[in-house]
Amino acid sequence: MGLATFLTRTKGNPDKADRIGAADLLAYGYLALGVLLILVPVLWTFLSSVKNERAVSSFDTRLLPMSQVERLIEGEGLKTTWIYTDAAGNTQEVFKAGPTRVETDVAAIDDPANVFKVPRTQLEPNEEIRIATENYLDPILGRNGQTNFTFFTYLFNSVFVTVVATLITLLINAMAAFALSKYQFRGRLTFTILIVATLLIPSSIILVSLFFVVWSFGIFGSLWGVIIPAAATPTGVFLLRQYMLTIPDELLEAARMDAASEWRIFWRIVLPLSLPALSVLAILSVIWRWNDFLWPLIVLISDPSAHTLQIGLTTFSGEFDSQFHYILAMTVVSLIPITLVFVWLQRFITTGIATTGLK
Amino acid sequence: MSIAGLASLIIGILWLGGGTLWLLTRRRYRLAQIPNFAMDLLGFPVELAQSLFGRSGVPYALLLPNMLIFGFFTFAPMILNFYVSFTGGSSISLFDRPWVGGANYSAIFQCESYFDPRTCSNEGFSFWRGMANTLMFVAIQVPVLCAAALATALVVNKNLVGRGFWRAMFFYPVMLSPVVIANIWNWVLHRKGILNETLGDATGVMTALSGMAGFDMVATILFAILLFVASERTLRAAADPSLAWAGLFALLFVAVFTWASPLRMVGFQALPSLWLGLALGAGLVWLVSTAHPAARWVVMGFTAVAMALLLTIQFDAVFSFERFRPVNWLVTPNTGWPFFWLIFVFTWSHMGFYMLILLAGLQAIPSDLYEAAKMDATKPARAFYRITLPLVMPTLVVVLVLSLIRSFQIFDEVWLLTGGGPGRETFMIVQHIYETAFTGDRPAYGSAAAGSVLMAVVIAVFTFFQLFITRRQSGL
Repeated sequence: MGLATFLTRTKGNPDKADRIGAADLLAYGYLALGVLLILVPVLWTFLSSVKNERAVSSFDTRLLPMSQVERLIEGEGLKTTWIYTDAAGNTQEVFKAGPTRVETDVAAIDDPANVFKVPRTQLEPNEEIRIATENYLDPILGRNGQTNFTFFTYLFNSVFVTVVATLITLLINAMAAFALSKYQFRGRLTFTILIVATLLIPSSIILVSLFFVVWSFGIFGSLWGVIIPAAATPTGVFLLRQYMLTIPDELLEAARMDAASEWRIFWRIVLPLSLPALSVLAILSVIWRWNDFLWPLIVLISDPSAHTLQIGLTTFSGEFDSQFHYILAMTVVSLIPITLVFVWLQRFITTGIATTGLK
Repeated sequence: MSIAGLASLIIGILWLGGGTLWLLTRRRYRLAQIPNFAMDLLGFPVELAQSLFGRSGVPYALLLPNMLIFGFFTFAPMILNFYVSFTGGSSISLFDRPWVGGANYSAIFQCESYFDPRTCSNEGFSFWRGMANTLMFVAIQVPVLCAAALATALVVNKNLVGRGFWRAMFFYPVMLSPVVIANIWNWVLHRKGILNETLGDATGVMTALSGMAGFDMVATILFAILLFVASERTLRAAADPSLAWAGLFALLFVAVFTWASPLRMVGFQALPSLWLGLALGAGLVWLVSTAHPAARWVVMGFTAVAMALLLTIQFDAVFSFERFRPVNWLVTPNTGWPFFWLIFVFTWSHMGFYMLILLAGLQAIPSDLYEAAKMDATKPARAFYRITLPLVMPTLVVVLVLSLIRSFQIFDEVWLLTGGGPGRETFMIVQHIYETAFTGDRPAYGSAAAGSVLMAVVIAVFTFFQLFITRRQSGL
């Protein structure tokens, strides 16, 4: 009894209450189920992506990437090999010398000339664990005729859009937030209300006319057509404004005494001091831009050299409906950067969004 | 070169050239101060505004880039949308578009019956079908998403081992892009995929087990023990029955009730028994959660009923499944599965975000309220209804509005998972706008813009309605 009490108690008080009760069990059960639901599909996709083409297209549901051993046989070329078990229980590595029938012609791999008949049921595939790196390397390096997924172009476009858009967003949102938090001027309320109003306009209802605007600016079909329209975010302005309100005005006054210009005050004093808020906005902006889908689809779809990773992956999945092994590998490839960012910055992301969280 | 390109070139030259001249005539830079010079050059318009208009001109210069982008890429399209919706043709030059008046709208409204999209014109069919599907999606998605997010936030807010880990895990899908999510779930839900395989294996194992001798007796005894333990633990706690154990007991009761299916004696199928069982179980949990004086007796009564029903169940028949046929989850029409998986995947991928917002709301509740409640021996359920729920309500309203607007705009997941199919079962309103305007040989921008205007009206009405009915709780 003493041991059970010790093992199940969750707080210091030894004799009463706060043992692990039904509520805790339910809570852990719920969390475990939720994490299983989240992790299993992702892990299964990863495990499937390292299986070879045959295993993927035949929907092999074993966990490990098993693939049939292939050996080079003199006069026959590359053949898959099988294990033949004869009546006495001896096993022998063979290859098929003819079509598969009830009685199949096989030959031992070290003696290819000597063909003999065995019942089909006595043959087992000779399998080994092999990680199918070709799933990844073929599309990325353009081998085996896989030239449709120009990985490095897509990656460059995605990184370019993400980095440039995030830098522009940070700069102009910080400028607007600085103006709204540290100056008294006519029209401050009007500007604030205008920015709130943009928060209420969903992007998908202005899709058609945004297309007209972007077209008439001449940036349709280029990466700038994706970067610029979404660069000013109301969320970012408010996030930074709330933070900048906490910076004491005395600092700014002291700098003005030293004859610093307003722009210098902004980037030498205000920007460094609002670094925590800036980093939250940077993380949010990276997530938004990297995962952006509908607008890049409209703007960039006609020019394959301007596709981002997301759009490239979409067209790639559409073209090769049956080549699941490449699709899965490329899915994993585009999942990895954001997963690494997440694992690395997970604490900042979750607390940052929890404290500011709006989109 | 386009006019915009020329304009940006001229601005760029003026900015860089003029700025360099202006700065170098006024300030001295040492060689090590090149970064300083670059930053000053970047802010040259602001510096210029300050020297021309004094300090009062600076905020306008600072706001300018942000407001230019908002003006050109949010407000202008918003107004332009109305104009485009009154024009026809497929020209992308605004001035070449013929004015057609309300023709786009009347084409959408050309229906014999507004409740049946099949009686509409082609544009009307596509629009109303998308609207009907979207409304149904929103009506199911928003409660499901909010309930799941609130439940998860409540659990994660408890004092558990590894809180940060759980929190991060639930947020992880939010980071994934829609394409990745769609590919993952397409792979899992494929007809020969892992889900069908697992279900097939599980039913096979259960059938084999139930075929063994004595299975009925063992299962009956097992369930009797489980029911006894759950009801005993429910009733044990000093004065009022415990809510968590009552929940477990209710789950067991629903299972037993469904399998025994007492309504079959009166001539119903099995399904009404499930609904009745669920209603009874929910009623039991509600009675216990409100600490109703009769709760004790109801739990005892339910135990007696469950025991009686248990004896009538043929467990080997209950667990003997037919051979499992793989379901084509996302493709088979008229099964409701594509819609179900859409809601599931949407919840899977967005729940973490709303959970984090709710978690912030929960953590803002002062803990001395709970301590005071504990002093007064308040039941946890009562503390939830009287403290947690009212205080988290403002956050919950924010989450409701955000998730409503978000689910109204659903496109990525549907388009990539089902493509609107099978047939038009999951065809949503944004897909209607996208396909009308951007796919096909003769893009109907006018019709798509009319659709967006109508969609904006619906979203606005819903948002304001939601804010209106929750105005007291949210304090707006």
